[in-house]
Amino acid sequence: MKLVKLLAISATAMAIAGAAHAADTVKVGMIAELSGPGAPSGTNWRDGTRLATEEINADGGILGKQVEVSEFDTQTDPQTSRALVQKAIDDGAYAIWGTVYSGSTMVNMLVAQQNSVPQFVGSEAPAIVQKGNPFVFRTSSGAQKGIPDLTSYFKRTLDAKTVGIAWVNNEFGKGGHDVFAAQMEKLGIKVVADVASEQGQTDYAADVSKLKEAAPAAIFVYMNQEESARFLIEAKKQGLTMPLIGEVTLTEAKVVELAGDAAEGAIAHVGLTASATSVPGIAEFVTKFEAKFNRHPTHDAIKGYIGAWATKYVTEMVGKFDGEAFSNVMHGLCLDAKSYPHMLLDTCWDEHGEMSRPSFMVQVTGGKAEVIGIVNSN
Amino acid sequence: MTRLNKRPALLLFLLVLAILAPLGHGNYIIYVLTSWLIFSIAAMGLNLTLGYAGQISLAQASFMAIGAYTTAIMTLAGWHWLIAAPVGMVLCFLVGLVLGYPALRVKGHFLAFVTLAFNTLVFLVLRNEDWLTGGSYGLSSMPRPDFYLFKTLKQLPFYYFTLAVTVVAALVLWGIVRSPWGRAFKALRENPVRAESLGVDTRRITLLAFAIGSAYAGLAGALVSPLVQYIDPGSFGLSQSLRILLMVVVGGSGFFFGPFVGAAVVILLPEMLRFTAGYYLIIYSALVIVMLAYVPNGLIGIGTRLRERFWPQHRARGDLAKGAQLK
Repeated sequence: MKLVKLLAISATAMAIAGAAHAADTVKVGMIAELSGPGAPSGTNWRDGTRLATEEINADGGILGKQVEVSEFDTQTDPQTSRALVQKAIDDGAYAIWGTVYSGSTMVNMLVAQQNSVPQFVGSEAPAIVQKGNPFVFRTSSGAQKGIPDLTSYFKRTLDAKTVGIAWVNNEFGKGGHDVFAAQMEKLGIKVVADVASEQGQTDYAADVSKLKEAAPAAIFVYMNQEESARFLIEAKKQGLTMPLIGEVTLTEAKVVELAGDAAEGAIAHVGLTASATSVPGIAEFVTKFEAKFNRHPTHDAIKGYIGAWATKYVTEMVGKFDGEAFSNVMHGLCLDAKSYPHMLLDTCWDEHGEMSRPSFMVQVTGGKAEVIGIVNSN
Repeated sequence: MTRLNKRPALLLFLLVLAILAPLGHGNYIIYVLTSWLIFSIAAMGLNLTLGYAGQISLAQASFMAIGAYTTAIMTLAGWHWLIAAPVGMVLCFLVGLVLGYPALRVKGHFLAFVTLAFNTLVFLVLRNEDWLTGGSYGLSSMPRPDFYLFKTLKQLPFYYFTLAVTVVAALVLWGIVRSPWGRAFKALRENPVRAESLGVDTRRITLLAFAIGSAYAGLAGALVSPLVQYIDPGSFGLSQSLRILLMVVVGGSGFFFGPFVGAAVVILLPEMLRFTAGYYLIIYSALVIVMLAYVPNGLIGIGTRLRERFWPQHRARGDLAKGAQLK
């Protein structure tokens, strides 16, 4: 009986403490791939949001409330990610940051939508903003937006007549592959080799030799980080001479780190890059990130950072914590980097939650991705 | 005599516990409990194949996939779940027969390899046949079953719906295990040669165990589809099959309630350990290693062991003296 009483008292005490706590904080759920194949992306995303949260709280929080972030690991498993978004919302999350892998986002965004909770995602599969979900917002352009920017590079700069595609067959890879192949057909460039590989594949010998045999003028490489690195290593081993061009991932810090010398010369179109240090905001972000985490950030870190700051900016525009109102303001919104310095670049969202902003062409030289051109947003 | 009276009381208690478990909890806990029930069904099926008939199958997830996709495609086309789910199960049963017929010529790890190959095959078919399965994008927004007076759109009703299905599935399995077939399954596991000499058609009985086990996976798949409302080939890969195998082994293969305990360990334990943040997967894996090292019979086996130790008058079931073995 005593035990029951004690439990009851402590439960009441906790409830009261919780209520008092809730008054001056706002909860956010950070759901990302902290283990499993998505860990390189997910941990960077998390660290980006951590850095932003620290800054936001130092800056007085959101609408005067300190931000309290709960972090959850999806193990790169879509079903787990759905359960966790549910958990975060059950716990009273006002917004969701994550996930990065498109397969997970496709599942868990339904939960955020049902509960009218705004969600910033790091995923790039086209389908995410095509489902009519008003609460999902990207932190980088989707493949259907980014890839057309890239294809003009094949036509104008390289003047390629033939092209090969090496892609990873998951939601992310297939989305990019389909958009790219359609663009090539439009431009009259022939796809002479179309090589699909598996997520987590370790041996690219057959893939690379197939591409080598077809001898296209350039190869489009569209894979996740670890796979990209393995592909580059094999390409170097077999002496592939044509330019290797990717979208976003191919020249990322993590890929360059894993592939080492083999990444040299790889080119990519990136929506965001930590190497665009000519942009003052990005240079400052990189310095802060390196000071805090002792390593170079990837574009996923910048995405997490922007998602967190956009939550603050837009909520303060709305003036209250209201998911519906937040979503209404977000659609068609542009945040310029001058008035909203933490967005780093001029950023706009359209009526589907798709985002656009200036992007870059980068090439790996001396173990670092250097900017070789700026592409204006379309 | 006392034991006979105790058992139904215990079962009733567990059932009441299962009914009360989700009350007062948020959607997340209910969701996790629902997936525990669903994986218990899949593990029950594998327990029949592995624990009772002694065959290792690494294709349980692919049968779940067949059940899930069949249900998804049919419910999306407007059929009721009550029609779609049995179709999925029958399909799994038939595929189980067709796969089992040649595959069961081999035993032990050879069978494991054949089923492993089948798992990969199903994964590739699901991913490459875009026109039917949606390819890598999968299928989404499957409706949840609606029984006019009882709608399962919300999490709590869906949990009770799953619980009801689980209870029915468990009762049917209880019947099967106690039928002449069930006895034949066990005879086969303990000593195939002797079983054959006693007139048991070992080939037919193994095939039957395999196909029924597959149909249970199909039922689990049919429930996953409306629970998650999104399925993609990646969710039914080899790692999922290995997880189901782990549930059976950790819970205690060959014990009727083993799969429930095993699924609880595999699904609920990592969730309970989440408060340890970055360490939870490490702790979970370490616990699994310790369990398998010290209680190879599975967690249910602990109970039997303790009873043997303190009340030795209860004779252990002779057929399980050696435990269900992975060979």
